[in-house]
Amino acid sequence: MNGFKPTNKKAELLLDAADQGHVKEVVAMESVAGCATTFDPGWEVDPFGGVASLCQPMEADLYGCSDPCWWPAQVPDTLTTYPNWDAGSASAWNDWRELDAVFPKK
Amino acid sequence: MNRPLILCGLALALLGCGSAPTRAPLRDYILTGAKPDHLFVIDAASRSVASDFRIPEANGWVGSIATTADGKVAYVLVNRMESIAGIDLTTGKQVFRADLSQGNERVKSFFGINVTPDGKQLIVYELPTLLELNEYKVQEPRFAIFDTSAGLAAKPVRQFPAPRRVHMILPKKDGLSFFALGFQLYEFDLASGKLLQERGVRDWNRPDYSLPDVLAFWPVSEPTGVFSTPTYSMHGAGEGKPGVQRTSLMTLDLGSGALSYQDFEDTVALIFSTAISPVKGQAFGVYTQLTKIDTVKGVLADRVDLAHTFYTVNLSSDGKEVFLGGTTCDIAFYDPDTLKQRANMKLPGCPDQSISTMRVIRR
Repeated sequence: MNGFKPTNKKAELLLDAADQGHVKEVVAMESVAGCATTFDPGWEVDPFGGVASLCQPMEADLYGCSDPCWWPAQVPDTLTTYPNWDAGSASAWNDWRELDAVFPKK
Repeated sequence: MNRPLILCGLALALLGCGSAPTRAPLRDYILTGAKPDHLFVIDAASRSVASDFRIPEANGWVGSIATTADGKVAYVLVNRMESIAGIDLTTGKQVFRADLSQGNERVKSFFGINVTPDGKQLIVYELPTLLELNEYKVQEPRFAIFDTSAGLAAKPVRQFPAPRRVHMILPKKDGLSFFALGFQLYEFDLASGKLLQERGVRDWNRPDYSLPDVLAFWPVSEPTGVFSTPTYSMHGAGEGKPGVQRTSLMTLDLGSGALSYQDFEDTVALIFSTAISPVKGQAFGVYTQLTKIDTVKGVLADRVDLAHTFYTVNLSSDGKEVFLGGTTCDIAFYDPDTLKQRANMKLPGCPDQSISTMRVIRR
């Protein structure tokens, strides 16, 4: 944690965890309020540094990523936050025009 | 003395005396879910939809499918990982329902459901979160055991602590224990919840190999009773050597509990899921290519490009056909010897299967 300075309460708690030797507890958390804690890059680059081994085409993978809240930064999280994002659009291939961008709820 | 003859006469009239009543030969059926609430039963031989059941209150989300070998009831994770619906595969009626969230405790099961081989108990890996006024409190994960005869408002008959990061429940064939697969492979006593053993994955004790990367979300062990999944790791890295990324096939025999890892290639292609064939020495994996693995020699046997990515692979009971599913709205049928496509069928209305498990039952 050297070089990092907490800027909010949650980050301070993380530093506390490190001081108390509980970092593994934090790292091993499976879900963040229901979402996957997937830190590998998604939809930008494949494991080989290219794009050929990403799902083809992306529509084949779209609901596979939104349904389990896999990459909530890239794909709307239908597991918890935007459950109706794909309502009425059962086929990503056919219905992709119906899928809108999402914005934080106020 | 005449009584048997009388009975025989009656039987002759009804069934034909002198021969046992004949049952229609068993057929393979493919189960798969699709948006928003479909549970399809597909006759594999005729490539046709035998049933299109609608799951009540699926809430636009159909995920993991657990079932027994006889395929009487399918237990389907629905409602955005918060409910399990048991669907009678003859009538299509919902005969079991467990809604995991209660009050301000939201519970999701991240793919982690399965049913014991006798069909009597459902094992669920639960991730509870307390939704409080100004914060969410992530609670410790737990296993919940349900009686499958509990009907439409099922509550757990027992719960016990579970390790973090489990996403796969695999009951052992004897019905006494179950495996939980995550960072490690755990085995728990079904009755007491006692941890019986902990083996690999993170501590897989393979010298000169890095920690493996495993993605195992599809609880498929048919037709052989052996669960399998690909694993990826670096081999031979260190002291200036970059190492080579290797793909290995992890297999777990749900009868004996035997666990093994077998390298079969340097990692040049991704595989999401695998299935072991009843034909000796054959396993198949799928992603954007269909991969055939020679498990006797431990080598890649063949690989072909697919029309699009599929998440799940399964096999006919005799191993003479490979089924590909998941992702979009089609099921592909492949020849296991030539890896040529024999057929491709689209689900009616073309709904995405997304992450739903593709299972094969025989009835």
